[in-house]
Amino acid sequence: MMMKRAILSLLLAGAAWITWADAQDAPTGNATRGKQLYLRDGCSYCHGTVGQGGGGRTGGLRLAQMPIPFAAFLNQLRQPANEMPPYVAAVLSDQDASDIYAYIAGLPPPPDVKTIPALND
Amino acid sequence: MSKRDDVPDLKRRNFFKGATLAGAAALSAPFDAAGQNAAPRAGVAPPNRVAETAVPAALEVLTEGRSGSDFMVDCLKSLGLEYIAANPASSFRGLHESLINYGGNVSPEFLTCSHEEISVAMGHGYFKIEGKPLAVLAHGTVGLQHATMALYNAWCDRVPVYVVVGNIRDVQMRRPGVEWNHTAQDVGILVRDYVKWDDYPASLQHFAESSVRAYKFAMTPPTLPVLIVADAELQEDPVPEGLKLRIPKLPQVAYPQGDPGAVAETARMLVNAESPVLIADRYARTAAGAKHLVALAEVLQCPIIDTSGRLNCPTRHPLNQSTRGRSHIAQADVILGLEMSDFWALLNSYRDQVHRSSRPILKAGARTISLGSGDLYMKSNFQDFQRFADIDLAIAADAEATMPALIEQVRRLVNGEQKAAYEARGKKLAASHRADFERARVDATYGWGESPITTARLCMEVWAQIKDEDWSLVSPTASVSYWPQRLWTMDKPYHFLGDGGGMGIGYCASAATGAALANRKHGRLSVSLQNDGDLLMTIGVLWTAAHHNIPVLHVMHNNRGYHQELMHVQRMANRHMRGIDRPHIGTTLRDPFIDYAKIAQGMGVQAIGPITDPNDLAPALKRAIAIVKSGEPALVDVVTQGR
Repeated sequence: MMMKRAILSLLLAGAAWITWADAQDAPTGNATRGKQLYLRDGCSYCHGTVGQGGGGRTGGLRLAQMPIPFAAFLNQLRQPANEMPPYVAAVLSDQDASDIYAYIAGLPPPPDVKTIPALND
Repeated sequence: MSKRDDVPDLKRRNFFKGATLAGAAALSAPFDAAGQNAAPRAGVAPPNRVAETAVPAALEVLTEGRSGSDFMVDCLKSLGLEYIAANPASSFRGLHESLINYGGNVSPEFLTCSHEEISVAMGHGYFKIEGKPLAVLAHGTVGLQHATMALYNAWCDRVPVYVVVGNIRDVQMRRPGVEWNHTAQDVGILVRDYVKWDDYPASLQHFAESSVRAYKFAMTPPTLPVLIVADAELQEDPVPEGLKLRIPKLPQVAYPQGDPGAVAETARMLVNAESPVLIADRYARTAAGAKHLVALAEVLQCPIIDTSGRLNCPTRHPLNQSTRGRSHIAQADVILGLEMSDFWALLNSYRDQVHRSSRPILKAGARTISLGSGDLYMKSNFQDFQRFADIDLAIAADAEATMPALIEQVRRLVNGEQKAAYEARGKKLAASHRADFERARVDATYGWGESPITTARLCMEVWAQIKDEDWSLVSPTASVSYWPQRLWTMDKPYHFLGDGGGMGIGYCASAATGAALANRKHGRLSVSLQNDGDLLMTIGVLWTAAHHNIPVLHVMHNNRGYHQELMHVQRMANRHMRGIDRPHIGTTLRDPFIDYAKIAQGMGVQAIGPITDPNDLAPALKRAIAIVKSGEPALVDVVTQGR
């Protein structure tokens, strides 16, 4: 279990070698519905409305552009490896999870940092 | 209390110059009915020469000399207090009048506040800039109870606030009714658990000594709030003719340094460590604090973890490793903690679950040293002392005052071979600092164009407007995800003031205003990233800022809720496996949304918003900063993401 959680943490922390396209295990998800669930069921409270992450020491991890396999995503929901509260199937079905997954997977990349004057002093 | 002479009191009237005998005679007259005047004839008033010549009992006797409250003002002036904040009240009406007339309303100047929580929190912020207390007047039981939350915050944050409470000890001096409700036998007990010292002086000389003693205690580390009761009778009675009163000297307070042997041992441990780590919490009292900490880290080329209790280390210094603090702690073999409020939390991991679990993150054999004034003074009831950490060497002393001796010892011990190893260590740390900064810049781009506006965008738009000014961030940063620490260049002590101590909501707006008051004379631009829930607690401070021309820019982090509590309720819903879509009930501020700009305008503060389009933010901030630079407060309401 410890090893499994460590791997999940690593994945969530930003395993850049995985892409959303690699996530062949994902069931078909409805991104539009996924967005509604994401905003309604508390994901956005910690991870931000567009998966930007809570930042700093207090918020949830960034989800946008942080691809992970669906199995790892679902495992993190059901048995979180960190302080995230668990979402069991009784309150969030696998289909709900796949819809949320589809929403997160479709989040666009951010603008190039060099194009933002306020981030270039 | 305006008509106490309904039932004159002999003891009090004995002080009255000139009128004493006459007043006493007038008082006794009605009871002489059985004596020389006991046989009145019908229709003829009995002769009573005393009654005919005395001052009638219902006539106010005026004070020709000084009142006790005048002397109290002398005492307060002797302490160098610049301001005294208060919501006006009858129990200190004498002192109030003396402050504005006898004292000329200067040093201290009266600040009108709509709530004692505002008064005290203003003192909290003021101290963090000015380094000396602001005085607060509180009205007996009710005013002091209003002040309690802010006093507790100041206590937890090791900030002295000088509180003077009005009270009426003598039952004969209290008007029937409300004054009894506002009086306590021992009013200080309300806050005795979280003030360092309090006293109820029984005479003016007692007041003089206790007022100076309280100030000295407040300013001796650990610096903490104090309280003095100003009895209403002492305030309002004239100073008896010929009474010799003396205000003691206010001593210069020397800060206690660590035991030399312990300091030498600390230096030895740090120099010989492979991976030493310096952690600083409420450490830097002055500009010298950060300077010395950086000097020590540069000799050792070791990481500094700034937990943001104060600005302990410049944010862009290459040895500032705060963003990867736990990783460094896990690898450390020697850790020095400076003025730590919660050392245990940094040395252990903890999970918020039904079955709470924790484990140490330190590696085996790692040694820990605490250096701080917290061990010099502690009380038991309130639990702000946190869990007891495994510490190998505890040095009870002021860390900033001890730092020069520690640096000297470390420099003396470092040899050439060690220097080379340190330099290699420092290069790695500098590289990781640069990487952390670059990663933070990229992280800030996510959601850059979104509405509600991200906290990263909020902070960086503010930064873009203030970075070329002499600015002071006068608010905490946890709720905006510490973006200022991650991306702003903070290198002066007034660039960041830490948090609210006890984390009681209602600190920020008032503390920011108090800090801005202190910044005003230095010409600094004071900026507060203001949470909506916090402002609602003490919203009257906006009027105080407008009334007293305190230039402060409140940039609202208006996430329209109590976001942390929203996350807590979400956690409970998940834990109980039900209703995960309902935690907004009771935790959000919707239906209707609150228009903070309108509220601020109603308080006399120029305000803009609500701003929902991130592209509108920069122009609004520009306008608001122009207002603040003209000497007035301003508010920009920004609708934001949760964190």
